[in-house]
This record gives sequence, C-alpha cells and structure tokens, in this order.
Amino acid sequence: MKILIIEDEEGLRESIEEYFSEAGNICETADNYQNAMVKINLYDYDCIILDITLPGGNGIDILKSLKEKNHPDGILIISAKNSLDDRLEGLNLGADDYLVKPFHLSELKARVTAIIRRKTFNGSNQLIFNEITIDLLAKEVKIGKSVIKLTRKEYALLLYFIANRGKVVSKNAIAEHLWGDGIDMANNFDFIYSHIKNIRKKLMEAGCGDYIQAAYGMGYKFTEQ
Amino acid sequence: MKLLALYNRVNIITTVIVMLITGIIYYQAISWILTNQKDKDLKVEEREIFDYVKLNNHLPQTFESNDQQITFTEARPGSVKREFINTMYFKRWDKDNTYKKHRYRHTGEYESGRGLISSVLVGDKYYKILIVESKVETEDLIRLIFTITICVILFLLLTLLITNRLILNRLWQPFYNTMKELKLFNITDTKEISKLDTNIEEFKELNHAVLDMAAKARHDYKDLKTFTENASHELLTPIAVINSKLDTLIQTENFSDRQSKLLNDLYGAVSRLNRLNQSLLLLVKIENRLLHEKQRINLRELVEEMIIQFEEIFQDKGLKLTYNLEDKEIIASPYLAEILLSNLISNAIRHNYNGGEIMINLTGEQLIIQNTGGDQPLPDEIFTRFHKSSGSEGSGLGLTISRQICGNFGFSLDYDFKDGYHTFTVDFNKH
Repeated sequence: MKILIIEDEEGLRESIEEYFSEAGNICETADNYQNAMVKINLYDYDCIILDITLPGGNGIDILKSLKEKNHPDGILIISAKNSLDDRLEGLNLGADDYLVKPFHLSELKARVTAIIRRKTFNGSNQLIFNEITIDLLAKEVKIGKSVIKLTRKEYALLLYFIANRGKVVSKNAIAEHLWGDGIDMANNFDFIYSHIKNIRKKLMEAGCGDYIQAAYGMGYKFTEQ
Repeated sequence: MKLLALYNRVNIITTVIVMLITGIIYYQAISWILTNQKDKDLKVEEREIFDYVKLNNHLPQTFESNDQQITFTEARPGSVKREFINTMYFKRWDKDNTYKKHRYRHTGEYESGRGLISSVLVGDKYYKILIVESKVETEDLIRLIFTITICVILFLLLTLLITNRLILNRLWQPFYNTMKELKLFNITDTKEISKLDTNIEEFKELNHAVLDMAAKARHDYKDLKTFTENASHELLTPIAVINSKLDTLIQTENFSDRQSKLLNDLYGAVSRLNRLNQSLLLLVKIENRLLHEKQRINLRELVEEMIIQFEEIFQDKGLKLTYNLEDKEIIASPYLAEILLSNLISNAIRHNYNGGEIMINLTGEQLIIQNTGGDQPLPDEIFTRFHKSSGSEGSGLGLTISRQICGNFGFSLDYDFKDGYHTFTVDFNKH
C-alpha cells in the first residue's frame, strides 16, 4: 500500500514512516502545506495521514482540496485538538477517521489498515490470514472451516493483532484500544494477560497456529513464525 | 462586632462620661457659689448682731424666721473659734401644715443647713453665737440642675442612638452593597460587579478598588487558563513523539529483562503523563464551558455499556458487582457523561480490594455508586485537585473532573462513608 504522511513534527513523522515501512508498503512524507499539496496533486495514495496544524497552511484545506478533486485516497486526520467540533468538521468534510495525538503507532496502523481495507476490497468483507478467515460484516471468525466464538473484545483484539502483524504491540496500546483512553488502571495490565490467554486457547483449540507471542513482558507480537 | 455597634458604644460611653464629669463640675461649682452666697448672708447677720450689741450693749432678741435661727449660749471666754459649719436646720411647720403635724406627730423636720459659729462679748459676758440658715432652697436648686443634666444626657443618648441607627445605616448602605457584591463574586462567572451610585468619596474609592480588583482577578484567571490550555496543547506533541519513539523502540529485537522492565516503566510514565495532560485540558474545557453539544442520553444504557466495558477488570479483580438500574434520561454532553461514569466506576474498581464489592444504583433522582475499599472514610479533600490517596496511580484529577462535570450538568456529587461502603452520590435535582 502507498501511504502519504503529512506531519510537520519530525520525530513523529519518522516514527510513523518507520513503522509503516515494510515489504510492499511505500511511504512518502511531507512536512509542510506546500509539499503536501504538490504530492497529492502528483500521486494517488491508498491512505493519507494528515496533521491539521501545518506550517504554511491548514490540514483542513488540504482535505477540502482532495475532496474537490475527487481523489479516492483514504484520509486519516491526526490532530492535537481533541474537540468534537474539529472531529465533526473533519469527518463531515470526508475524512475517513480522526485520531487524537498522542496515539500508539499500532493504533494508527490498525486504523489505516481498516481504511485501506474498506477502500480496496470495496464491499468484500473477508480478511484472510493463513487459516484464519474473518467475516468483517458478520464479525465471524473461522479457523479453516470451523467457526470460533469470540467475545467482542477478543474479536477486536484479533483484528488489531492482524493489522499489526510482525510488530510488537505494547500492553498500553492494547489496553487503550480495547478499553479506551479512560483506562486508568494503574499500569496493572494483568487482565490483558488473561485476555490473551483466552484468545490463544480458543484459536489453538480450533486448530490454528500459535501466532501470538509474548514480547519481553512489554507486549505481544502476532507473527507467523 | 459591627462597626456601627462599636461606634455607638464608644460614642455612648464618652458621652455619658463627659456628661457625668460636667454634671459633677456643675454641681460643685453651683454648690460652691451657693454656699458662698449663704456664707455672705451669715456674715451680714453676724455683723448685724455685732452692730446691735455695740449699740444696745445687750444681746438682740432671738427670733425665728422661716429660714434662719440664731442662738446665743454663754461660754468660757476665748473658747469659741469662728468657723462656718454644715449643720442641720430644724424647720418648724406652719399652722397651715397641720396635716403633716398630725401625721408625723412632730412639730417640724430637719433640713440641711449652713451655720456660722461666732462669739460676742456683751459687757463682761462671753457668748457663743450660732447662726443657722436653711440650705433647702440651695439643695432644691442643685437637685433641679442635676435632674436637668440627667434628662439632657438621656435625651442626647436617645437622639444619638436614633440618628446613628437611621443615618449611619443609610450612610453605610453603599458599603454593604459593595460587600454583598463581593460575596457573590465568582471568578469563573462573567457577571460584572455593578457600579455604585454614591457621593461619598471613600465608598466611591472602595467600589473602584473592588471593580479594578475583580477585573484584574478575572483577567489573571483567564490568562492562567489560557496558559494551562496552551501548555497542555504544547505538551501533546512531545508526548506523541515519545510515545511513537517507544513504539518504534520495542520493535528492535533482543531486550534483556532489565531493559524491558525499564521500557515498561517508561510506557507507564508516558501514559500517566498523557492522561494527566488530557485531564488538565478537559478541566479547562469544562470550566470554559466549551463542551456544549447536548444530546438526550439514557443513563441506564450508558451505565450498562460501562459495565460491559469494565467487565474483564471486574473479573480480574474478582469484584462482585450488583446493580439496579432504572431508566433515567438526561440532556447533556455525551462525552462528559461518559467521562463522569467512567471516572466514578474506575475509582470504585481501583480503590477496591480483590474480591470486594461494587453496587450501582440508578433511580430517577440519584445515581449511587458504592464500593468496598479502605476501612476509613476519605477526607474532604478528595474533590480538590491533585489529591491522591497514597499509592494511587491516578492523575488526582478524576474526582475534580467528575464534580466539575456534575456542576456543569446542574447535578451535585457527594461522598459519604457508611457501613463500610465508600459511597458516591450523583443527585440529579440539586444545583
């Protein structure tokens, strides 16, 4: 997939670029309004990660310009402004999602993956990873032919892992993804452990490979090896 | 003590003292003058007796007038010293005073008098003369003067009291008005302190000072809020960078146990920093009333959603949850309502012990969240900013935010400790 990262903060931009750069992905970056306008007019992207506050202009204007020219690119706004008005404005103008800074890269990856999936599969609603087949509309998970029953959170967690496959996902990121920002349980993420244990058990009982690995006590990694 | 009361007291005490002193001086002066007058009369009488003796060479006949008695007694020559004395004067009642005569079976009464003891030599006989004059008229006069003085004092006091009460109360009215305004002054309110309509320079100045102070306080408060908001906003980007760098860092393989422990701590600290920052921003927004989108919210549904949301955490801590929810609709910001419930429920979980209890009760009037936990009631400061129980890893802003949200909704949030349960009550009707 081809992704454009429009973000003026160098540190953040580099991190995102590095996280998204993997086999089969092309990442381009723009650090100000002018560069961004040049790039979006020259190329098409699967997804554009767009910061609202930019030197030389406003991200909202870029969004407007994209929509005026009927670019099919998926757009995810990242902004420090956590106000409903901004969020609504962005979404009304045709952005696909809105993520408030600061965020975990895994969360960004999951959101971007979801946008691209919606755009490219266009109505097809199956996500396949080896022997795991997920029906995104019915929210049904099959291992080979057999359906396994996952709770709402287990299902969300599986999708999150698949979107971030090959990456170490921190416990914090998992907690925030599943329980929202409000999760304030004093860094006691033991309940995540039991959660992961359950989902692993369910998958493996259905004959699925053991893809979820603990990573140094910091998080988990969904990987084929 | 009220200024007016103090002023009155001082005023009255000084007036009474001054009046008493004047009264005493007045009394002394008058009685001195009058005694002097009597002494002169007595001297005139003495001179008359001397003249008479010189002329006739025998004692004058003693007679009694209404206010004077003269007695002669023989005495040893040279034994009498001439002097004025205060003595008694026996007054005989007249015939027309028969009623008194009858009643007291006396022929008269003693009155205070002034006397002169003198001596005269008639031929070779030495006589002591005692002239006594009644002082009753003098005393009447003094008594009258005294009565008048007392009356004047009383009258003055009365006038003072009345004028003070009426005039001073009116005079001080602008002061009381300003004070009332000050009491009602709320730094977060936009209501201005009204200008005072008075001609009195001091009160005008006071009012000006108060107006200036209020304006300055508001301005500073606004500056402070803007600062908090800007600072929090500026912090977001570096936090985002740290967060993303950490996420990137853990992708590099091969960490030792020690390194991963350090990374874990870093993650924890950053997420706390982030939550703290978000909380500060949220507080500013609530105080500035920037979150005014309102929707009809069914609190029962929201609470049920929260319970599902926290399900795993209840299970993990082995908490026993009982709830009884009735339908309750409020019109409020869904964002804030969610934060309120999430704060209260997560507090009930966090400050609980493993295997404890949580009870949630929602009626049309109240939402009550009770939990087991420490066996001591929490101090009143729990609602103040950055108050944290020892060992709590929260931001210390949760309950402050909750109370602010309740205030914003027109609800009240109170804490109580009963039967071992920490109880937080949201009352929908109180303001």
